[in-house]
Amino acid sequence: MKNPILKTRLTSFISILLLLSLWKIASIIYNSELILPSPESTIFATLKLLISENFIQIIGATIFRGLIGFTLSFILGVSLGILAGTNILFEAFLKPILISIRSTPIISLILLALIWFKVDLVAVFIAFLTMFPFICTNVIDGIKSVDKDIIEMSRVHQVGKFKIIKEVFLPAITPFIFSGASSALGFGWRAVIIGEVLSQPKFGIGTLMQTAQTYLLVNEVIAWTIIAVLISYLFELIIRKIEKAIVIWK
Amino acid sequence: MSLIIKNLYKSFQDINLFQDFNIEIQEHTIACILGPSGCGKTSLLNMISGSLQPDSGDLLGFNSKTISYIFQEPRLLPWKTVLENIVYVLPDSISKKEKHEIALRYSELVELTDFNNYYPSKLSGGMKQRVSIARAFSYPSDLILMDEPLKALDLKLKLNLMKSFRRLWQPDKRSVIFVTHDIDEALLIGNDIYVFSKAPVLIKEKFSIKNKDRLLPSPEIIQLKNRIVDVME
Repeated sequence: MKNPILKTRLTSFISILLLLSLWKIASIIYNSELILPSPESTIFATLKLLISENFIQIIGATIFRGLIGFTLSFILGVSLGILAGTNILFEAFLKPILISIRSTPIISLILLALIWFKVDLVAVFIAFLTMFPFICTNVIDGIKSVDKDIIEMSRVHQVGKFKIIKEVFLPAITPFIFSGASSALGFGWRAVIIGEVLSQPKFGIGTLMQTAQTYLLVNEVIAWTIIAVLISYLFELIIRKIEKAIVIWK
Repeated sequence: MSLIIKNLYKSFQDINLFQDFNIEIQEHTIACILGPSGCGKTSLLNMISGSLQPDSGDLLGFNSKTISYIFQEPRLLPWKTVLENIVYVLPDSISKKEKHEIALRYSELVELTDFNNYYPSKLSGGMKQRVSIARAFSYPSDLILMDEPLKALDLKLKLNLMKSFRRLWQPDKRSVIFVTHDIDEALLIGNDIYVFSKAPVLIKEKFSIKNKDRLLPSPEIIQLKNRIVDVME
């Protein structure tokens, strides 16, 4: 095969096919819908969920929580990251905070959030705390990657400070912001769903997963999982699309 | 008028780069500073541009000068096209439209018109350096400082770039201080050639070249080259 893109696509397809066949084989061996449902019954359950009542409301609530957490961590992460990247003292101040947040187990945060916040806020809070360090650290790295030589060149030619920030610093950190946002969201969706499982808001993928697990509806647990994966993938695609439209110079 | 540096002192850690150093440079000429690596040529340019402070000494006639700088590396903004890179350094007192016209004119002078909308990542090393030369000339400066801008390029590109440089300089005759360790570059570009010693720097000798069009193999230039080689050793 000559087309390299087609070749890699085919390889990925084979990988998925292999995964599905292993699943199918395991489900035949177990032969119990209660423990491991077959791929077909899970896909069927997924389709059933897609057309079920309240489906939009359920995934809407989860996406909404994730996006609010993301927006908060984005705004705070970018602004504190710029401050820390340009000021060594502020970086020294911020670093221990970032490290503590990042190394605290999510479950501890959730247990505390359950005590401190209203049910609807728990997942938002968790999402925010998981995503914020990613974005902030990436922005700091981005600022540090700015080419000192270009700054010197700008100064010699008497380019103003504001213009240097706008035309050198901001474009330089843009790719870092995107890669930070993409890994942040990857972890963020998981955090939101864990938060929902434990806090049980009225609507939310996590809430429904928990309910399905209680009734031993394993195919439904997996079906919600597939939907969560698809949502995460969709947002990854959106971020990549926006990045491609903005970072055109590479 | 000339640019004068008097009683300059500058040291780094334990190395005395300049110890009571003096030089007088004619305006509207290309002054070449030829010296071994590490003798403090770049530091001298940085003190002239103001990005480095001398320990003591006077720089006379430089104060009122605006400066543009051609560095060893092109130092282009990766997210700006050829034209945008030139426009970037132009002062805001110039209108947007005029900036664009200036950028167009200089990119044409360095033969990059076909690449006006290219990003640096799509240009060769020689083309990038041509953009940086165009950028320096488009900037309304009185003095252009050049720090071995041809160092990383092969001979053919060097000759090509020097041609671009001459074409820009000829009608414009701005003061230029060109630093290099390569005799051929100095011979091809310089009006005055100052041969520097190792640190602490002394001017070993000053050579002046009168004729405009020069070819490296001409007997006159070869003779001069031999004399410079003698002085450098």
